[in-house]
Amino acid sequence: MNAKSSIAGRLGSRRSTSMTAAVTVAALALSLAACGSDSKSDDDKGGKQADPSAVAGALDQPAEITFWSWVPNIDRTVALFEKKYPKVHVKLVNVGQSKDEYTKLQAALKAGSGAPDVAQIEYYALPQFAITKQLVNLADFGAASLRDKFASSAWSQVNVAGGIYGVPQDTGPMAMFYRKDVLDKLGATPPKTWAEVAELGKKIKAADPANFVTYLDPGDAGQANSLIWQQGGKPYQVSGESSAAVKLKDDPGAAKWAATWGPMLADKTVESTPSWNEEWWKSMGAGKYALWLAGAWAPAVMQKNLPQGAGQWAVAPMPTGDGAPGSAENGGSSVAVTKQAKNKAASVAFATWLNSDPEAVKSLNSDVGLFPATRLLLDDPTFRGADLPYFPGTKPNEVFAQMSGAVRPEWQYLPFQVYANSIFKDTIGQVYKPGGDLPGALSTWQERITTFGKEQGFTMK
Amino acid sequence: MSTSTLPDRPSAAGDASSRFFRPRGRRPHRGRGGSGKSGGRRDRRDRRDRKSTALTVAMALMLGYTLLPLVWLMFGVTKSNEGLLSSRGLWFADDFNLFDNIHDVFTYEDGIYLRWFANNLLYSVVGAGGAAMIATLGGYALAKFEFAGRRLMFALVLGAISIPGTALAVPTYLLFSDVGIVNTPWAVILPSLASPFGLYLMRVYAADAVPDAMLEAARMDGAGELRIFFTISLRLLAPGFVTVLLFALVATWNNYFLPLIVLNDPNWFPLTVGLNRWNGQANGGSVAGSTAIYPILLTGSLLAIVPLIVAFLFLQRFWQSGLSAGGVKQ
Repeated sequence: MNAKSSIAGRLGSRRSTSMTAAVTVAALALSLAACGSDSKSDDDKGGKQADPSAVAGALDQPAEITFWSWVPNIDRTVALFEKKYPKVHVKLVNVGQSKDEYTKLQAALKAGSGAPDVAQIEYYALPQFAITKQLVNLADFGAASLRDKFASSAWSQVNVAGGIYGVPQDTGPMAMFYRKDVLDKLGATPPKTWAEVAELGKKIKAADPANFVTYLDPGDAGQANSLIWQQGGKPYQVSGESSAAVKLKDDPGAAKWAATWGPMLADKTVESTPSWNEEWWKSMGAGKYALWLAGAWAPAVMQKNLPQGAGQWAVAPMPTGDGAPGSAENGGSSVAVTKQAKNKAASVAFATWLNSDPEAVKSLNSDVGLFPATRLLLDDPTFRGADLPYFPGTKPNEVFAQMSGAVRPEWQYLPFQVYANSIFKDTIGQVYKPGGDLPGALSTWQERITTFGKEQGFTMK
Repeated sequence: MSTSTLPDRPSAAGDASSRFFRPRGRRPHRGRGGSGKSGGRRDRRDRRDRKSTALTVAMALMLGYTLLPLVWLMFGVTKSNEGLLSSRGLWFADDFNLFDNIHDVFTYEDGIYLRWFANNLLYSVVGAGGAAMIATLGGYALAKFEFAGRRLMFALVLGAISIPGTALAVPTYLLFSDVGIVNTPWAVILPSLASPFGLYLMRVYAADAVPDAMLEAARMDGAGELRIFFTISLRLLAPGFVTVLLFALVATWNNYFLPLIVLNDPNWFPLTVGLNRWNGQANGGSVAGSTAIYPILLTGSLLAIVPLIVAFLFLQRFWQSGLSAGGVKQ
């Protein structure tokens, strides 16, 4: 899910002291150790229970489903479900955001009891749970037929190691938010290429050295991953269940990313700062950053924390190297069914309804404020043409939907991305400064992730 | 000891305390004693003055460093969300929202904050109280009784101090899951009861604070070991007990990772886990029905530290030693 999850991810990565890293390692070690022993019996079980036809009728039978989600107001969409299927009771539990939930989920799945039937899992964390056979492969329940209902960028992210391990709920295709007032004052137009972004940075610097074209957060691995993705990078590769590769050092997209941001850091036209805190919101409100590169979930957060910014901000496509459209996902999450689900058919049916039924997806968008993963809305002229009062006279959803279509394909996350992100701060985060050696830090990050992967028993290519 | 060779060493405890409370550099040296002695005192004072300037500065810096976030929090709780994001951190915003914020904290999500607060009290009182009691019993036994394996046990306890609780949280979860007490208060309270550091502290403290001669006298008079412990030793151990209690209170009150892992029901969350959940929510948000909960988060955080402050103020009066002074001839 977008706003919440990606923000929680950021908080998580910022919190990544050695302690949290150690914890991540501990929790992960546990999950991966489970891989060998559990997989056989689970496969057997999966084979027996997998019955696509059971899903259709499951919701007409009495059932109780426990659903872990931290998304505020999602209870409204769940209420619609219970109204439609009165025999099924959904127990919605908020056990914490993002990493907090994963920690609990990991422990409960390993212990063999205590896990929910259905759980909210961000795309970046999904492979970790999928590859250790802790989630139900939805393909066994006929989920392959859902494929056309979702944006391909969302669908590809729930496909892990040949299985389908979640139903996409929301996405965060990246777009460029810019301050109209700041650009107007400089007589500048919204940049379309990275070169223009750098130019704009110099202009801003010349006008007032205290302002910047945008910022980089040294604690936010999600931001860096998305920006590398957006430049065409594919640094993480997973093949099968026990083999992975990290190619940050030699990845062309990562190299472009370093070549884009390194000079801007050197010119001090980009600020390195922690984000998502009160100080940062103040800077955002004061026009310190002309651009904000963020997922399509951003408007929901801006309306809340920058209410005075209505009319100041506008939306444009992401800048790219050559000016042709290209984007990436930033945040977003899926809904998965765990191996411990008591009624797997009903759980799968619930997860499917919640994220693909027309009534449900409209509620997720308007009541909950999620940016959709479903084509039902992304291709809907009413949705695309909707006016957001925060951006008067523009059609931001149109831009977001275009960006969603322009997300570069074939991105993958590692089965231990949670750990990889947690050491971002100690590697790349350290060189987010003028003259910082970004390519060198990419190597360091790669080495540390690779070492960890080997320690966990993965074949690291 | 002799005053001539060690002039700045006080000969009695009373002297020592008056030394600390004497205003710096004010005392006229003509007052007491002979000229030789007062001259010695002046030397000492000068030396101490030089030293204390640096120390005072260092302490002031440290004090500022630790208090600054708290001061920020104090100002923060008086602001609305909008005020918070538009005003200076270390001063008031235009609006004064403290009472609204307090009201919001206690009513947000059907008043779950009070529930969390009560949970915290339960976990801390039972957990820290139990931990302090067990540590006192154990430390006393290790210090005052000879039995086989005593040294080994103590070595094990010392070793246990070096294992961070965080590393044990996941194995603890698996263990509790087998026993079936995951997601119950016991899962938080039971591990809190073991305090290796407290035990170590109490052993060291009991070795000196309870004179062997006093125990022997009590035994001669026919008192049983339990009676000796509760009527004599426990009182002598009170300062150590309170110290361990305070350490354990802080540890259990702020316990985060263990409850995060072992509790899945928000109704059993302590404040740390609950506030962290709100922290995530404050940064998230959604269009419809979004609640600007930064102020609630800040106010909840401030209210959460009040009991610890009260506990310290209340318990530090037990921090007195020397209860047995003069009780036995040594």
